[in-house]
Amino acid sequence: MERIRNNYIFPLILALFSVVAVNSSALAHRATIFGWVEGDTVLTESKFSGGKRLVNSEVRVFNSKGEEILKGRTDDRGEFSFKIPEMTDLQIVLDAGMGHRAEWRIPEAELRGDVDVMPGSVKPVESSPEGPTLLGREEVKQIVEDSLDTKLRPIARRLAEMEEKGPSVTEILGGIGYIFGLMGVALYFKSRGKNNG
Amino acid sequence: MHISEGVLSAPVLVAGAAVAVAGISVGLRRMDTDNIPKVAVLSSAFFVASLIHVPLGPASVHLILNGISGILLGWLSFPSIFIALTLQAILFQFGGITTLGVNTVVMALPAVICFYLFRVYVRRDNGFLFYASAFSCGALSVFLSCILVAAALISTEKSFMTVAKLIVVAHLPIMVIEGIMTLFCLLFLKKVRPELLEYVNGTNPQ
Repeated sequence: MERIRNNYIFPLILALFSVVAVNSSALAHRATIFGWVEGDTVLTESKFSGGKRLVNSEVRVFNSKGEEILKGRTDDRGEFSFKIPEMTDLQIVLDAGMGHRAEWRIPEAELRGDVDVMPGSVKPVESSPEGPTLLGREEVKQIVEDSLDTKLRPIARRLAEMEEKGPSVTEILGGIGYIFGLMGVALYFKSRGKNNG
Repeated sequence: MHISEGVLSAPVLVAGAAVAVAGISVGLRRMDTDNIPKVAVLSSAFFVASLIHVPLGPASVHLILNGISGILLGWLSFPSIFIALTLQAILFQFGGITTLGVNTVVMALPAVICFYLFRVYVRRDNGFLFYASAFSCGALSVFLSCILVAAALISTEKSFMTVAKLIVVAHLPIMVIEGIMTLFCLLFLKKVRPELLEYVNGTNPQ
């Protein structure tokens, strides 16, 4: 044990920690796909979790029964969009090749939330109890939704970025701690065995 | 290099798990008290190495470090890499729990193969043979991992050769980098702790 304890573990641990420090904006190896609804279109964005965009990868869309309803390929910005094909829970599967695969679910409610209220599909309310307004209730609702769509687009993108964030320093250090904990347990049992025998 | 959930068919998953269990049990049987810290250190190194990402080539590739792990640990690479992969799957969602067996074999089997191929030469004095074998150890282990990934994907992808070519080309920069890293690691260890290279696999050749 003496020679192991002495010299080499400490520099190696230091090396490990410096690696973590350099890579705290950690770049990782996992494919992710993120999808959201805008109007009657579903947009998806595919990336490696390091932020590199997945170009020309196959994206397949399944309905709630597990049947494939459409497929396509991501463009050179890792994006793929399609018109809502049917009102069902959508399962979007990204196949990045080399054994990488990711999934994203869009529940039916999310599709309806944007599409249900089409202009003219609902009769405008004649008058609201608050008093006379120039615009009908439905028209106002439509305007608000349009503007929310535009305003929320950057937020949807930010969410997509956050989904793809690599492992945090906490997780990395936690993992290393776990490994050394296991080492401690193993050494404990080995040394007990030696004392008893 | 980490194969995700839902890509492989059941027979491949079961075969991978079986080989992994066999490898891990061989490794555990050869692990003695002196080796445990070494296994843990290399396990941590492997755990962190996947975060070092090389932005070259068409795909997203990262360091694997299975060559250095193989030459220093031999069969102990199996338990060492298995622990690191388990933690990567749980904490980072790299790979997956069901593919743990296959992924362990993909990375640990080349380590063991390189151990048997190069263990004699890396113990030589610092001549051409040492440099060549240390470099090839790092590079070849990555290459063999690529081949194993392609083999695992046979059942799902169209043709073995196309996939293999694609993966090998994507990992060419990693092979060179790992070769150089392995060379410098071994040079350093040889100077500072030469007995690390002598005492491997639970059997002391002296």
